[in-house]
Amino acid sequence: MMSFTPKTTVLVQGIAEPLGSTHAALMKDYGTRVVAGVSPGLGGQTLHDIPVFDLVEQARHQVGTIDIATICVHPYQALDAALEAIAAGIRQLIILTEGMPPLDMVRLLRKAEYTETLVVGPSCPGIIVPGKILLGTHPAEFYTPGSVGLLGRSGTLTYEIALTLTKAGLGQSIGVGIGSDAIVGSSFLQWLQILDEDENTDAIVLVGETGGEGEEAAADYIREAIDTPVVVYVAGRYAPKHRLFGHTEILLASRPNGRSTGSATTTSTGTAQRKVEAFIQAKIPVADRPSEIPRLIKKALGKR
Amino acid sequence: MDLLEYQAKELFDEVGIPVLPSQKISDLQDLKELRIPYPVVLKSQVPVGERKQAGGIRFASNTIDAVAAARAILHCSIQGYSPKVVLAEAQYDRDREFYLAVVLDRNARRPVLLGSIHGGSRTDLTAESIEQVIVRHQFSPFYARQLAIKMGLTGETMASVSTTLEKMYRLFARYDLDLVEINPLGIRSNGEVMALDGKVSVNERALGRHPDLAKRLSDCSRQREIHPTADNVGDLETIERDGNIAIVSNGTGLTLATLDTLYQAGGRPASFLNIGGDAATRTTPEMLCDRLERSLERVTQHPNVEVVLVNLLGNGISRDRLSQAISNYIAGRSPSSRPPHLVVRAVGGQTEEVATGVTSHHVSFVRTLDDAVLRAVSVLARV
Repeated sequence: MMSFTPKTTVLVQGIAEPLGSTHAALMKDYGTRVVAGVSPGLGGQTLHDIPVFDLVEQARHQVGTIDIATICVHPYQALDAALEAIAAGIRQLIILTEGMPPLDMVRLLRKAEYTETLVVGPSCPGIIVPGKILLGTHPAEFYTPGSVGLLGRSGTLTYEIALTLTKAGLGQSIGVGIGSDAIVGSSFLQWLQILDEDENTDAIVLVGETGGEGEEAAADYIREAIDTPVVVYVAGRYAPKHRLFGHTEILLASRPNGRSTGSATTTSTGTAQRKVEAFIQAKIPVADRPSEIPRLIKKALGKR
Repeated sequence: MDLLEYQAKELFDEVGIPVLPSQKISDLQDLKELRIPYPVVLKSQVPVGERKQAGGIRFASNTIDAVAAARAILHCSIQGYSPKVVLAEAQYDRDREFYLAVVLDRNARRPVLLGSIHGGSRTDLTAESIEQVIVRHQFSPFYARQLAIKMGLTGETMASVSTTLEKMYRLFARYDLDLVEINPLGIRSNGEVMALDGKVSVNERALGRHPDLAKRLSDCSRQREIHPTADNVGDLETIERDGNIAIVSNGTGLTLATLDTLYQAGGRPASFLNIGGDAATRTTPEMLCDRLERSLERVTQHPNVEVVLVNLLGNGISRDRLSQAISNYIAGRSPSSRPPHLVVRAVGGQTEEVATGVTSHHVSFVRTLDDAVLRAVSVLARV
């Protein structure tokens, strides 16, 4: 995370798309060094005073080192855009695009692991380091600099928590949304580890949602390896049951070697209730609603 | 979204997975020209499991029996689905029944191959009996052989099962599927295999690049009695028939958080509608407000809804458009009927000023989620 500074250079792939154009401008306004955009067929033009290229490789030759690529292309082109960025030597990718087919993510992750590339997203709001850099769709007005690390999955719920913290006088060291798709790149575990080592982060808020087992894994990891105080909120405790699983997940929940094997708990894996229980078992404070988070954070900070 | 059995088997046939001779029956007259020799199995083509227990699978050894069986099946709705097609299939003598599947595992973030020698009905198939192999790197047939060996297979059976898995994986990758399942896979002692029942789930997001799959799905969705009320506004979820508060919000996480908070405050939600915008991507402020307007119409069609709680958050929610959407909603109600009260919480952009643009005692503007929930509940208490 500490590689995200005002000096970080950023490429926007799909800069002529509505998503890319809107957020390239907002990122630039925030002070982010958006050094180039890529939009095949529009090479040679400029957009929001940002030079546009046909290829990532051309952008890199023209503007020099690029630290991060933010990907805003059509979902069916996102895999190609990501592979192009990796081929051009970029090792940090943030995929803001929504609706990328999951098997494309599998193909990307195989490549990313091999090349040690960080992939955040897809379908995510990206990263903001308040007062320093915006790498995604976070509304800057909801954030203020401070020492609370905010980890969420989807956009608007993460913004809600940021706003709640800001209003309570608790600024943020970073805001990250890892994305709410079934298959995402960076995990809660990775970010917990990064924030635990970050000297600007004194406490962490983890915002979970129904589905998957990322929160359950995070609960174990926090208990075993994280020294920084963590406060949790999980949305979806009253969600109708049928929303929680496609049959695929039911199938997987009943699969051997899963965390949920055997016993009656099998069916409840991935529900918000099950996640909350996992955090309570790990003795991690859980907020019942977003507005409770500031009090729990203040309490956690006071203890230290 | 699941394909019907006969459609799954068409795909199996396409990649060379053995399937039985079969014939689609949509009219009882078709049975008089059956090309498959008796005895036959007649199977209801509905996209749900446990068809046998529900009377959707019957056997027939002559035309008279077959007509009676097919008629019974066509009149039998299973879990809300009425079959429009019955699949007539040859019978197959087998020694054993296996379970095989290729599925995407969100924790491993890879496809996994699953297999069990205790296939057949779901009750015999326990979690403990299913072996798995994660396809960590690019697929190669050795992954299939690894699974066959884990299942304890040898010789001819090991070879034919792993070849079947390989073909299933090819199908999975070619069509961006969520699941390819064969259960049961009939096994004979000489190693011969036959896909006796199959399930294929397509990934909705990838459908745009597989027009042939989309066509197959539209063919089978026309047979459904019930289907989700999806349009471009978002998916309306009805929760409680006697609930009286509808929620309209943007983004899944925020919608669920709003629902939770409302329940905790003692509110009784009737439905919720997510108008999209998790990553604030293709949703422009104009689209968002247009969707809001149509969503308000949708959720208030429910006769019990007395309050609509609107919770919107994000970059640049356009003030003018938001005012317009709310004003249009109010203007569109007939003056005689008492319209549901709107509790609006919208943050981001210049939404603070929206309140000044709309004056109606049917609308309350609030600043926080907690206030929105409290207002929704207290408005009802006053009534």
